[in-house]
Amino acid sequence: MERVVVTGLGTLNGIAKSARTFALALREGRCGIGPFSVFDASEFRTHVAAEVKDFDPRDHIPPSYPLKRMSRADLLGFAAALEALRDAGLDPLPPSLAEQTGVVIGGGGGGLLEGERFFGDYLRTRGRLARFSALSAVYCASSADRIASLLGLWGPKTTFMTACSSGATAVGYARDLIRSGAAPIVIAGGTEPLCRITYAAFNALQAVDPSPCKPFAGNRAGLSLGEAAGMLILESLAHARARGAHIYAEVLGYGVTCDSHHMTAPDPEASGAARSMREALRDAGVSPEQVDYINAHGTATPPNDVMESRAIRNVFGDRAGRIPVSSTKSMTGHTLGASGALEAVASVLAIHHRFVPPTIHCTVPDPECDLDYVTEGAREADLAVVLSNSFAFGGNNTSLVFGRFAEGGRGRNG
Amino acid sequence: MDRRVAVTGIGVVSPLGCGREAFGRALFAGESGIAPLGAFSPEALPCRLAAEIRDFRPKDFVSIKNLRRMDRLSAVATAAARMALDDAGLCVTPANRDRLGMILGTAWGGTDVTVSFARVLVTEGPGAANPILVPNVVMNAPAGHASIELGFRGINTTVNHYGISAESALAFGAQEVRRGAAEAILAGGADVLAPFYFESLVRFRALSPLQGGGPEGARPFDLLRNGPVAGEGCGILCLEPLEAARERGTTIYAEIAGEGLASSPAPMTGWPGDPRGFVLAVRRALRSAGSAPEDVDVVFAAANGGIQPDLLEAEGLEMVFGLSAERPLVSALKGALGESFTSGGLRAAALALALRDGAVPPTLGLEEPVRPLAFVTGQAARANLRQGLLSGISHGGTYVSLVFSNIGAES
Repeated sequence: MERVVVTGLGTLNGIAKSARTFALALREGRCGIGPFSVFDASEFRTHVAAEVKDFDPRDHIPPSYPLKRMSRADLLGFAAALEALRDAGLDPLPPSLAEQTGVVIGGGGGGLLEGERFFGDYLRTRGRLARFSALSAVYCASSADRIASLLGLWGPKTTFMTACSSGATAVGYARDLIRSGAAPIVIAGGTEPLCRITYAAFNALQAVDPSPCKPFAGNRAGLSLGEAAGMLILESLAHARARGAHIYAEVLGYGVTCDSHHMTAPDPEASGAARSMREALRDAGVSPEQVDYINAHGTATPPNDVMESRAIRNVFGDRAGRIPVSSTKSMTGHTLGASGALEAVASVLAIHHRFVPPTIHCTVPDPECDLDYVTEGAREADLAVVLSNSFAFGGNNTSLVFGRFAEGGRGRNG
Repeated sequence: MDRRVAVTGIGVVSPLGCGREAFGRALFAGESGIAPLGAFSPEALPCRLAAEIRDFRPKDFVSIKNLRRMDRLSAVATAAARMALDDAGLCVTPANRDRLGMILGTAWGGTDVTVSFARVLVTEGPGAANPILVPNVVMNAPAGHASIELGFRGINTTVNHYGISAESALAFGAQEVRRGAAEAILAGGADVLAPFYFESLVRFRALSPLQGGGPEGARPFDLLRNGPVAGEGCGILCLEPLEAARERGTTIYAEIAGEGLASSPAPMTGWPGDPRGFVLAVRRALRSAGSAPEDVDVVFAAANGGIQPDLLEAEGLEMVFGLSAERPLVSALKGALGESFTSGGLRAAALALALRDGAVPPTLGLEEPVRPLAFVTGQAARANLRQGLLSGISHGGTYVSLVFSNIGAES
């Protein structure tokens, strides 16, 4: 079976505008959640989020690429994809590779930020003065289309939209595309903008903490929203070797399951989350004993964090309390459709730079959250296997397993 | 060793009726699902036709308790999923439910709910936003609702990539079965019409007759085509390992033998300038199936009556299969089904029935072909069909092709 490795990383998020600075920010436990300016939040109950500060697309994207009508989500995604390609030594892509390179993106709000502006005009003028072309990029498929079209790619392309697990599923599916021989290289990731409609939806559900979120803490009061793009260059090992690429880590496996319980509330028995972790480990061919760090979904909503802690206990048994578990959402906010991909980037950086990112703001213990949440700051650690969780509305759960690249293989299956 | 992928169940909610038998009877008889739009008034809009879902009674398929929480899209998708599952004769048990999955494609999601939510937000402010609507705003709501109704706990995901969402979901589903990640996957696509969405299609000049004038109507591959007619519906296939299906002794409609995916640079909301991406996807699908162009007896084309995509597809078919008035047979079902953007699910259902029955439904609305391919027109054609190609194409330059095989001659 063809092994699949990560050879490039790119990200823009609330605490960093490159993968290199993201690693530093994660290590120092920087908080990106605070007042923001993407839209006016004054009429909301809450007023904080993690935005990509001072985002000027042209700081990241050369002038040769036309950016007309692209949404903020498209721009963030394209900027991160370019960074990842550069990082992988694939910018520019030789034509023979462009013909085979694929794009798989997990989306969320897509162009709803721009779409809402259109919709306001539409309602105010009863449709007369609204320019429907403003909706060109309203769906999240636009981001994958722009990446592929601007880079001249001819490989497989698709977009997942499963709310908060989209980005993780995209990474898993991309792994399968490479394994099945459909493409030697896939740009896989997610992109999510802050937008008022999403902000309103989570506020309407009363799921947003008015202050920066506190995952796993006894006084947690909901999530903080954020925006980000996270992109990974996934490549078949043979291809990466043949061109002498730097290998960050190996994609060992993934699992996707469904709660089949409730559209928005997590299953209190945590079955779906536990099964996605087990399925990912089984797919990776690694045992629970081999997992060195868990990048948790850790949204800081009261039900999620208890459920997830319980699921980790179910899967890892007595050892659960000895595995570091952290929520990088405490720093980046919950970036929804991008979060699975952003946390995949964080997990790979943790393996590569040999550290465990902390959970910040977690100072008040919760008796129901009884794991090691790395609350005292980042830890130096040699991580061989990392598990990353993403759980979504609709009961869609995805877990990814990454491993430090080892010549002979990491898993039981070699 | 990879498993082979069998199609063992078909679920359909469509403009030609619900359930595979009603759908198949009407489709192969050459009936059209296109009629004057009835569910809402297009008011001052220049487009009056649509292919609306017919004879759909959600309560026949979905429990009242769950139905209350669903928008129309979720009800349609859940009903089709139930039909596909029942048709396959699969029972959901504690022993198998963790390995039963659903992969749904939706091009637009529940537009009605999203518009309702946004309308209140824009006009009355955040304080008035309705939390009840939130679960149905996300694209993965239909597959989530279906999983709750059916008790599926395995892989559940949603592809949301315009006009190839359904074909992409089928390709992913086939891949999951092939690699042994599931005992069965329900895969397909669902989209429904709603007022703001319909108006958007009109304002983007995406519909007939806005792309050329002349009478309104769907005329796939025709020289006088002037845009598609909007449609809606849901087609879902139950996919499972061929060996397991044989052991169960269940009906096997067809095998999904291979799939091919490709992109092509294209302007935003526009079409690529040449058929190269289409050709790549078809050739990749053939390679993945271990087939040659000569093995394909029928093509279920994506053509919808649009000016650019139909020409692109016709030229692409010519490049792969050569120009022949005899073979492969080509039929474009959107002449009868309209363009729902996820009609790939319905067309896949039709292809599975076609392979089983040795018949190809006609392309409605086609009189003067844009290229001299072996189009089936007028009435259904009888033929021994070994392999069929399902093509999916989308604006923005995305292509998915699937090769279906008739396994009736095997074993």
